[in-house]
Amino acid sequence: MPPTLISPSENDYILRGVDANVRADGRGRLDYRQVILETGLITQASGSARCRLGEGTDVLVGVKVELGAIELDGVEEDVAEIKAKRGRVICNVECSPIASQQFAGRGADDFNNELTQMLDRVLNGPQSGLDLEKLCIIPGQQCWIVYIDAIVFDYAGNLLDTIFMTTRAALYNTKVPKTIIQDSGDGEIIFDISDDVEGWERIEGWDKVPVAITLNKIGSRHIVDATPLEELTTEAKLLVTVNKDGKVCGLQKSGSGSIDPSLLNEMVQTGRSLGQSLIKSLDEMVRREENDINLKQSRRERVEKLGFFAAT
Amino acid sequence: MSRLELIGPQGLRNDGRRVKELRKINCKPSVLSQADGSAYIEQGNTKCLAAVYGPREARTKAQVLHNRANINVEISLAPFCMSERKKRSKSDKRILEIASAVKQTFETIIKTELFARSQIDIYLQILQFDGGTIQICINAATLALIDAGIPMVDYVCACSAGCIDNEPVLDLNYVEESHDTPELTVALLPKTGKITLLQMESRLHVDKFQSVMEMATTGCKKIYHILDEVVRENVKDLLEKKK
Repeated sequence: MPPTLISPSENDYILRGVDANVRADGRGRLDYRQVILETGLITQASGSARCRLGEGTDVLVGVKVELGAIELDGVEEDVAEIKAKRGRVICNVECSPIASQQFAGRGADDFNNELTQMLDRVLNGPQSGLDLEKLCIIPGQQCWIVYIDAIVFDYAGNLLDTIFMTTRAALYNTKVPKTIIQDSGDGEIIFDISDDVEGWERIEGWDKVPVAITLNKIGSRHIVDATPLEELTTEAKLLVTVNKDGKVCGLQKSGSGSIDPSLLNEMVQTGRSLGQSLIKSLDEMVRREENDINLKQSRRERVEKLGFFAAT
Repeated sequence: MSRLELIGPQGLRNDGRRVKELRKINCKPSVLSQADGSAYIEQGNTKCLAAVYGPREARTKAQVLHNRANINVEISLAPFCMSERKKRSKSDKRILEIASAVKQTFETIIKTELFARSQIDIYLQILQFDGGTIQICINAATLALIDAGIPMVDYVCACSAGCIDNEPVLDLNYVEESHDTPELTVALLPKTGKITLLQMESRLHVDKFQSVMEMATTGCKKIYHILDEVVRENVKDLLEKKK
């Protein structure tokens, strides 16, 4: 992470700016930086997306869907019953040393773990919206395992929001091959995986996956999409995860300061409305991209992906 | 199992290239905001991102060299970079070996004696893998080092060549690599033609060596021209922005 210290005068500058609703880069308190989103960049993955926030934070998410066995060893009976009918989601976040010297060697292990757990908690609970039962192929035996791997390339604040945004886009981009299940008659079930290019479906419920909005309390106000310097000024952070229906799917307070109950309510409400509009604009972005590609393909034109960094 | 035909009857390889053809190279320097120098490079389906930090103070005292800069190379592979998902630990032997090969290559090229007691970090991240790890790592690192403005003697360009059915073939992809094709990776300084890295891990008849070697060398020179053009273009853009 770039700076780890902030001088009192810088601190004061940010504090007053936030109070006057003008931040160092000219944004208001509740403005996001420009989001660049691209999907389908990694051909070897089932789905992928890359998101760049402003001139900084850069995250790449690759989703791989692989066949796996349903594991029921050592699970209690009533839990096993539910588990037998479900696929799995496995998350992993990695901060590449490319983003910061602090992530070199084993330096990022703790931080990686924290981010992984955060993503995992949201995507593996019932609030994730993903229909895990649709990922089951043969109950109690075979299922699809969805591996979500996020890599952080560049850091300029507001990492978690970006990871969630990118994950959502990558899940939209993910293609799960269709399976044909046959009962061979003697109680044994066999299945075939379609090898047709067109024989795929989206992960059911990708659109219900929530996004996260981090609200940073600075002075008596709160801001979204903080830059690294603003993050240093932040007294307390509140992570609000919201789905497209505006339902709050999770809250987490971090940071050393405290939040007044009345402000807390206001922050949650802000997070909620911002999250909903963010989801709308993200969905429009990925859909527009896909429509463009489909249109080009139908006209038999060559589809040129911008490639990772050509857009910036 | 029948052996897969790597070169078709029309002389085309499984990805549609001819034997003397390189994969399409796309690259762009200065892609990241935090690093002192960075580059992104694509050779066909192999994609790599490189970042250079430094020269800066060495992080641990043990790494300090009193007459020159210490070069540190770290390579990581994305879990989704191969056809099967696999998470690799940072102490994977194969990756460490490649990292040390890259390190040795650059130790002779970078003017390390100018930065005594400091450290230069080269971080490489492979995003997608389709053969040719060492060559893409070296090419990406060269671009990133140039972008960071670190004094070097020359470019270093790397390329691989192999021998399929007694015919030398340039720039092997993963399918060709994994079919027991003898693969020779060469890194050289394009201006003087001096070779800084040479690696081959399988059997190749000594009579064939010369032609395979020549093939790899011409590949390196082609890559040099591509990289050089991109670097010049980038500097031109920077100058224009300054006006």
